[in-house]
Amino acid sequence: MNTIKTTRFGEIEVDESKAIRFTDGLPGFHNNRDFIILEHKPGSPFLWMQSMDTPDLAFVMINPFLMKSDYLQGLSPEEEALLKNEDDEIIVFSLVTIPRGEVQKATVNLLGPIVVGAKSRKAKQVILANAGYSHCQQMIFS
Amino acid sequence: MLYVPEPWRVPVLVLTRKVEESITIGNHVTVTVLEVKGSQVKLGIKAPKDVPVNRTEIFESVINENIRASEAPSDFEALTFPIKQAPANKTGEL
Repeated sequence: MNTIKTTRFGEIEVDESKAIRFTDGLPGFHNNRDFIILEHKPGSPFLWMQSMDTPDLAFVMINPFLMKSDYLQGLSPEEEALLKNEDDEIIVFSLVTIPRGEVQKATVNLLGPIVVGAKSRKAKQVILANAGYSHCQQMIFS
Repeated sequence: MLYVPEPWRVPVLVLTRKVEESITIGNHVTVTVLEVKGSQVKLGIKAPKDVPVNRTEIFESVINENIRASEAPSDFEALTFPIKQAPANKTGEL
């Protein structure tokens, strides 16, 4: 266990073996390779991906299959190959954009899912440019 | 010849190629000029399967969306209620 400083959550204890690493960097944030995944609130479908190096860098994430149950079906073989993480089982997340003060306008990035190897914890953002997914899919609330 | 393009402001290598000529990047990526029609250029890209190749504007839209996503407020209570599924063509497994 190790303690990291965060702007949103204060000082938190993290299990470094559960950290994920963007070996090729996260587009736009190449200096931040190591992140930890946190629950938003018990029972919430939202997660946080908090940088281990930059206290104020954190992203809201969601399981994209909650938004679109047929997500990642019918991809081209080339895009299927991009999703692969060697032989590792993969876990897929999508980043959520929440405009300040306008939570009802939250959108999900289905164009660029975050793919994490279940064992290796190796993470990458994959761009599925030919599948017709939006980088700002409006969330629909019941 | 080197020149500094906007918006990157980093020097780039400029090479002149004819149709059917190509350039090789690293050991495994080859870009070939297939056709030139007015201001449009058709390129053929040969790269390993695990090397992502994207139109730059698509890659930039992902960068910009990542930057917007990084500005999320830590407290967004209103979003804790259940999400309705977007219409799906077929039912998938989680």
